[in-house]
Amino acid sequence: MSGSLRLGLLVASLGVFLIIIFSVAKRRLNIRYSIVWLLWALLSLAMSIFPESFYTLSKVLGIQLPVNTVFLIMTALLYALTFYVYIMISKHNEEIIKLTYEVASLKKELDELKKKNEK
Amino acid sequence: MKTLIVIPAFNEQESITNLTKEITSYGYDYLIINDCSTDDTPKILDENGFNHLDLPVNLGLAGVTRAGFMYAHDHNYDCVLCIDGDGQHPPVFMSSLIKEIENGYDYVVGSRFVEKKKPWSMRMLGSRLLCFLIKVKTGRTVSDPTSGMRALGKKVIARFDESMNFYAEPDAMCYLIHHGYDVKEIQVDMKERETGVSYFANPFKSIYFMLCEILSIIFIQ
Repeated sequence: MSGSLRLGLLVASLGVFLIIIFSVAKRRLNIRYSIVWLLWALLSLAMSIFPESFYTLSKVLGIQLPVNTVFLIMTALLYALTFYVYIMISKHNEEIIKLTYEVASLKKELDELKKKNEK
Repeated sequence: MKTLIVIPAFNEQESITNLTKEITSYGYDYLIINDCSTDDTPKILDENGFNHLDLPVNLGLAGVTRAGFMYAHDHNYDCVLCIDGDGQHPPVFMSSLIKEIENGYDYVVGSRFVEKKKPWSMRMLGSRLLCFLIKVKTGRTVSDPTSGMRALGKKVIARFDESMNFYAEPDAMCYLIHHGYDVKEIQVDMKERETGVSYFANPFKSIYFMLCEILSIIFIQ
């Protein structure tokens, strides 16, 4: 990995780390969902500080350029994270259907009660 | 047998009044589910005092029918019959579907092609492909897997009420046949849609729908 790539990765992961902490503090991000992002930022921080470990890893995996190992890990993590988000979307979709039904049926009962009272 | 007619309605201001009056003339309970219509449908429902649910967010057809099944489950209905709000499904055939549920079937589908021949249009090509897949998966020959006019018995209502993956009619039908429920198709006639725009007018949506159905039938149901 070249020096400028290391520096770029260092700055970017520090920046990401700060943005996550800031978002949680500003109550824009739920702390439960922030953990995975914090771990990810720490991992890329570690990558930029100790690139030697990636040289070893690249040799073990038979990847000629260590930078490709970085891309590989990043892509795999992104896949995992996106999949997790899709699972959450499916779950929320179910919850929305149930809540929508509950709200609609409560509203219906309320309307019927109101009409009864008017009479 | 306590029967509920579920009528999903999205922007059906032209057809909903006549349809509902025709359905009530047969004496069944009914429930119109207004899926956030943007036209005068909600006003018409209120003014006529039709029995209806107003969903606060737009759920789409699959979500709307789910809401109908939940309502039937909560109010302890023995049978649910789905009829489209656009007037495609003539209410004349309701009683013959409900009668089959009374005869002990779990799921009865109003099919256009039990006795009649299927035409060769693009849409029916899709229908043929779905028939073929269901045949391969379950060994059973069906004629109209995409028909939205269907009656559900109590067991099926309880099953459909809770699961997220009976998105559309073909996979629901495939699941029920595959898992040993008694499914029957009976001949009905359907009208061409008179008003409003079909979901399948958009070719990308049709392709997406077919892909979902194919995957669902092969791997999930």
